[in-house]
Amino acid sequence: MEKARNFVEQIYKFERAIAILAFSVMTLVIIADVIIRKVAGVGIAGATRIAVYAMIVTALISFGLASHNGRHLRPKFTDRLLPESWNLQITSIQESVHALFCLVFAVVSLSVVYDTYLLEETSRMLRIVIWPMQSVIPLAFFVGFVRHSLYALYPEIRPGNNNDVAAGSEKIQ
Amino acid sequence: MMTILFIAIIIIALLLRQRIVVILGIVAGWCYIVWGDGDLSYVVLDLWAAADQEVLLSIPLFILAGNIMSQGSIAERLITMMRVATAPIPGGLAIATILSCAFFAAISGSSTVTLIAVGSIMYPALIKAGYSKQFALGSLCAAGTLGIIVPPSIPLILYGVMTQTSIADLFKAGIGPAVMLTVLLGLYALIKNMKVERGEIHFSEIITVTKKGVFALFMPLLILGGIYSGLFTATESAAVAVFYAVIIEVFIHKEMNFEDLQNVIIETATMLGSLIPLLMMALSINTFLAYEHVPHLLVEIIQNNITNQTSFLLLTMFGMLVVGCFVDIGSAILILAPLLAPLAVAQNVDLTHFGVMMIVNLELGYLTPPLGLNLIVAMGVFKEDFWVIAKAVLPFLTLMFFGLLVVTFWPALSLFLI
Repeated sequence: MEKARNFVEQIYKFERAIAILAFSVMTLVIIADVIIRKVAGVGIAGATRIAVYAMIVTALISFGLASHNGRHLRPKFTDRLLPESWNLQITSIQESVHALFCLVFAVVSLSVVYDTYLLEETSRMLRIVIWPMQSVIPLAFFVGFVRHSLYALYPEIRPGNNNDVAAGSEKIQ
Repeated sequence: MMTILFIAIIIIALLLRQRIVVILGIVAGWCYIVWGDGDLSYVVLDLWAAADQEVLLSIPLFILAGNIMSQGSIAERLITMMRVATAPIPGGLAIATILSCAFFAAISGSSTVTLIAVGSIMYPALIKAGYSKQFALGSLCAAGTLGIIVPPSIPLILYGVMTQTSIADLFKAGIGPAVMLTVLLGLYALIKNMKVERGEIHFSEIITVTKKGVFALFMPLLILGGIYSGLFTATESAAVAVFYAVIIEVFIHKEMNFEDLQNVIIETATMLGSLIPLLMMALSINTFLAYEHVPHLLVEIIQNNITNQTSFLLLTMFGMLVVGCFVDIGSAILILAPLLAPLAVAQNVDLTHFGVMMIVNLELGYLTPPLGLNLIVAMGVFKEDFWVIAKAVLPFLTLMFFGLLVVTFWPALSLFLI
């Protein structure tokens, strides 16, 4: 179990670093663009596109951060309908279903990204291929599959007070 | 048969405590595989198309700006300003509470953060000044909800993305109802606390506290002024808000260092990691529904049964009040907005007005059991029983319901700035 916990921690550190980097790029590029556009009258070419791609990377990599911190939204109104003594089994099934969901989307999105790679689809504004940015979709879902599989096997390593609506939704307002 | 199976799967997923993103993923997958062309790759293409939108940039930027500004002593500075300014008015401290919540909400963009930040300072102060516990609890919980209607509001952005409505217009439309609700709550505080002892006003003190709090007060003016004057788009104003927040907190207030900034980015990214995948899944379902002409069919059904705008608005209002009791506001908007928007258009309801009405409607859900988020947060912050807090918010809930009726049936209140 300790190995699983350490492994999840290492994944989290990786996700954290990428998220900080991508978020910083997004923010700095868009701020620089706005300031230059307001001062000089012309913005940075392609800045908004770069910011959008950085946002997508941030959001999808942070899908794992939300899992790690128990911040995915979950409706709670059915929680008391099943007996409390089933909680452990329900948790295992909950995490297994989440892992399966991630696996299915990882596989399907990998094939979509592969098609994009073969078609050499490019961003019109930046004139670069888009598959490297799209790759974050299968990556995020694959990491999600690994993480939630470990949560299903070792429920003790799941984040505390996980996944209730109150924990996750407080900033949506 | 397939529909019954579909509903059964959703119920089982809810019973098995699945996250909303998984449930929406199952729904999207089912739609494309069973009712569509049988190809799941369309869902992934929709996910990419949903995220690949410039308008979404305003969401992380506004959340980041709010998180940065909420880190330091902004709440304390605002409260001190409001306390000094309202000291000679009967019920001054109560009015200061309402105004502090409204202004802090405009900066933080979050109801629960507002409740925690202002409540942790004002709750003991109100009790010490002789206000009843019931009033203190109710006013803080209710005024805390102003965070979702006072621009910049993330629910308004979500509504704009889901219904293709101008976010700048939605922000402008939120101002009237936000001011009206603040005035309503403030008036109630004034009438209810006429007999509470008044303080004295000292102009030198006003100048001192204004100097300390003026930078925080300027933030909403900068955002709304920029949008209203046409100087900034919503995304540009979000970028300016982040820039301004960093300058204020790092260089002027000096309450944040590089490490704090990193933590705020992680906090914001975590929030995004929960919100954006949800939005992507919801937009994928929305694309499928539009492709299958479901909104058009719904409009036909509703038009055959509801013949006038008033019935439609009343029905929607009560429906959303019930939804607000059980579902969080983000999920409710992502699921309901694209379904209800065509119905609203068919009944000649302006989409901007409908968006504001929807947000004010769901705002009441923060104060209603069993899942009233502000009630749950208040339990932890003020160490009070859930039902004591639920009873305390009742008069405020009645007032806000009156406010909702005004917002719903007086569109000019929302649309006068557009």
